Amino acid sequence: MSFIYRYLSVIKAVGLLAFMVFVCLPLVQMTLLAFVATLPHGGLEVGQATLRNFTTILSEPNLRAAFGNSIAYVLINICITIPVALPAAYAFSRMSFVGDKSLFLAFIAFRITPPVVLTLPIFQLFSALGIVNSVFGIALAHCLFNLPISIWILQGFISAIPREMDETAFIDGYSRPRFVWAILIPQIRAGIAVAAFFCFMFSWVEVVFARILTTTNGKPISMAINALFGFQTDIGLVMAVTLASMAPGALLLFAMRNHLSRGFRIGQV
Amino acid sequence: MPNQPDYGGAKRLRMKPTDNSGWVFVLPAMAVLGLIGLIPLITVVNYSFFEIFILSSRFWVGLEWYGELVGSARFWQSFARSSLFSMIVLLIQIPLGIALALCIPRGRLWIGLSLVVVALPLLVPWNMIPTLWLSLLNPETGLLGRLGSVLGWPADWKASAFHTWAVIVVMDVWHWTSLVVILCYSALTTIPAAYYQAAAIDGASPWDVFRFIQLPRLQNVLLMAVLLRFMDSFMIYTEAFPINAGGPAEATLFLAVDLGEEIKAFNYGPSAARSVLYFLIILMVAWLFTKAQGKLDDRDAA
Repeated sequence: MSFIYRYLSVIKAVGLLAFMVFVCLPLVQMTLLAFVATLPHGGLEVGQATLRNFTTILSEPNLRAAFGNSIAYVLINICITIPVALPAAYAFSRMSFVGDKSLFLAFIAFRITPPVVLTLPIFQLFSALGIVNSVFGIALAHCLFNLPISIWILQGFISAIPREMDETAFIDGYSRPRFVWAILIPQIRAGIAVAAFFCFMFSWVEVVFARILTTTNGKPISMAINALFGFQTDIGLVMAVTLASMAPGALLLFAMRNHLSRGFRIGQV
Repeated sequence: MPNQPDYGGAKRLRMKPTDNSGWVFVLPAMAVLGLIGLIPLITVVNYSFFEIFILSSRFWVGLEWYGELVGSARFWQSFARSSLFSMIVLLIQIPLGIALALCIPRGRLWIGLSLVVVALPLLVPWNMIPTLWLSLLNPETGLLGRLGSVLGWPADWKASAFHTWAVIVVMDVWHWTSLVVILCYSALTTIPAAYYQAAAIDGASPWDVFRFIQLPRLQNVLLMAVLLRFMDSFMIYTEAFPINAGGPAEATLFLAVDLGEEIKAFNYGPSAARSVLYFLIILMVAWLFTKAQGKLDDRDAA
């Protein structure tokens, strides 16, 4: 045992590095393929290094539109999720009301419901509402898992703020809604950013709802990638699109790195 | 605030004042989840009692679909496979996630760098994850595939149930362990430095520190991590199927695959019954989870 303890920091570093290498393996494979021609295109031979896959993304209207659609529905989703989740998180964090535990259980149950269970009725419902094949439909459907997660994250951040602050504000004559808007929201900016980031992350990569809700129009990146598979798949292009689709997430991840771990700090109601 | 410890969070939460106007605050969330969650769910329950050719004409069949489902060997075989898969995934990802969270070094730069690299798999579109692993294992162009013969990995691994399972498990570990790492790391950062100082004065070994300081702090997030990972792996759909189309000989045919196939074939009734059955499993798991959480809270309060 003492031998292990002596070299604990070395073992930790090696373990973490080994895992990071494991994480990077498929990503390195993807990057390598993204930069070579995998099908013969005018003058290019298979296996030749090229940037053609990336220029194709820019020149292909379908792929360009897919990136636009993905960004649009993720933004719409965040704009629905955060304002709806914030008051709920505040209530779960600060008030005890009849049925609060059961309600939280119900919310969690919707988070862990696999989308495939609800695909059929959601498709019918959204057809009736006329929001199939639009980015708005996907944005709304993704609230199913993003809303519970955001409530959970935000209530953790709100619970970390001492309740005395609420009480002082109420004595000062703030109403509850004004207190939330003017005092609470500025205090939990980081929490809102973290919640928005997790909305982005779970929404950006989701495919089950995205598939059934976009048959003709409004296809996100994941579905545009699916459409690239065919009799002769240009796997280099597929990998380039995947790599490009990870870029916004990686940038956000880097920007959020100091707040990321705080999102799930207090996982309880 | 980043390093501010949360002293006695549980106790403070316990003192929440009773205020039923809380319902007003959760109303918008209930409205949204009611529309996209509850209404579809009720629709599914309704469909599950009917034989439906087209939606305008349907016949009451009562519990027939449920009877068929519960009586079919195929259902129970998929159920067993999904359970086994979830067990394996949890047994690997939870300890590995805790261990990696403990390995994350101190120092702002290194923390940021490790978290970013570890979280990268979460950013890959789900339908591309099997594609990435298949191309990695491709015997001609894949980085691992070309090493296959040296490492004793058979070129025809798709014919072997064991190897297909191994690929799917490794793929899931790759994809989701980082979520456990982030969850655990966030809990670890709430431990006040004073605890570590006290442990150092007492001459506690790293194991003691883990057992008596770090692990108790992890309990709440671990419960959530187990819940999320259990359900998502139990109902794995998008990632597992393309690896080997449920083969060889249905050895990797998981629960959600059958549901997906029935929905694609527009078998409204049977797929609805299946959905309801799956949702009951989910509800039971969520209920067990809150029971466990209640136990933890009570112990914290005591």
